[in-house]
Amino acid sequence: MDGIHDLGGKEGYGPIEVDDDDSPFHEDWEGREWGIAQCARTPGITIDWWRHCRELIMPEDYLGRPYFDSWAQTDFSTYIEAGWISEEEISAGKSLSKDTDYGEPAVAMTLKQVLQEDQDHAVRFDAEIETPPVFAVGQAVIASRHGNSGHTRLPQYVRGRQGTVHAYNGAHVFPDLSALGQEVHQHCYSVMFEASELWPEAQWSQDKVFLDLWESYLAEA
Amino acid sequence: MATDTKSTPDFDASKVAEIHQHLHSHLPSESALRVKALETLLVDKGLVNPKTIDAWIEAYTEEIGPKRGAMVVAKAWCDPEYKARLMRDAPAAIDELGFLGKATAHLKVVENTDEVHNLVVCTLCSCYPFSILGIAPPWYKAAAYRSRAVRDPRGVLSEFGIDLDVDIEVHVWDSTAELRYLVLPQRPAGTEDMSEEELAGLVSRNSMIGTDRDLGENIEDDG
Repeated sequence: MDGIHDLGGKEGYGPIEVDDDDSPFHEDWEGREWGIAQCARTPGITIDWWRHCRELIMPEDYLGRPYFDSWAQTDFSTYIEAGWISEEEISAGKSLSKDTDYGEPAVAMTLKQVLQEDQDHAVRFDAEIETPPVFAVGQAVIASRHGNSGHTRLPQYVRGRQGTVHAYNGAHVFPDLSALGQEVHQHCYSVMFEASELWPEAQWSQDKVFLDLWESYLAEA
Repeated sequence: MATDTKSTPDFDASKVAEIHQHLHSHLPSESALRVKALETLLVDKGLVNPKTIDAWIEAYTEEIGPKRGAMVVAKAWCDPEYKARLMRDAPAAIDELGFLGKATAHLKVVENTDEVHNLVVCTLCSCYPFSILGIAPPWYKAAAYRSRAVRDPRGVLSEFGIDLDVDIEVHVWDSTAELRYLVLPQRPAGTEDMSEEELAGLVSRNSMIGTDRDLGENIEDDG
């Protein structure tokens, strides 16, 4: 989706607000939202569907509201879309459902249990697949000129540009289909692009940009 | 909208776009109130337990944060065999220290040298190696950094106080897949006698993202 989220190389966002404050949360509600996002998930949701729902936030809200606010907005939308909560219930501030079949209420987890769950969340996204990789390390490739109107992890700024395969990452869950609930693995490569290939002002630069891209995003150069 | 149809997602992007429009007009405008509304409803439905939220906040305030990454870096500086394992298979190497977790199962370590400076970004969202660096700083998640890191990395670095020599190549890593990146900064000169623990104290969070380079500046002058 050619949305507001695809920020790489866009201009006009001004200087970085460098901040030496190392505290993880600057407001209490940021921590609450972080915690909610860790313990709440609708069944069948995928990380890519959640990301896509965040991309679909209206541009003025996406850019104009604080970061963890956009997480809350995304959580609202995924729960509503799957029918777990309704907009009427948000207004009422309580459950209006006569349906009691929500299973047992979520139990309180201790710090120790949560730390264990964090370790258990070391989720791998790769798998063995039968088809061999098409591209070899060192090979020149061109990124597709087009993304798609759903979720994709091919940023606009490399589309149609030539790069070189830097490394093979294995076959990873393909995000474009994962955002539709389908788990299909596809070969994924680390691809190096010269800054001079990407940006008009970088003509003399030796700098490089590396992206992890799936096989169907790439063609032989 | 009835809530008696709860199920798995329909993966219906048009519906979600419409929901976002409704929420734009119907949710309170203050972030704190919006999150409160979400928590209240999810707790009322028994979907979330507030004590578990407390525990996650505590975990990422007290236990999980950039101190972990700093310990990994210091160990790599002191132990060449550990460094070799870290460069070859970072998830296994951080698991030796008990730090493997959320978003680090496909961790890759990229090493700064006299010739190369590495910088990590996520232009499409704000992917970050949570279990070793904790919660990402606000600037990392902001549009200015996400848009500029890939296009104007030297300008970004100068705003962090780093004037990089033109001969040093910048390698920018855009986290577009489930791989996550940790920069291995250079060990500062004059630290030969320091312990691993003292060395870890020199490693800033930003140096592991790439927005800090010379860690010699962090050595306290007790002279």
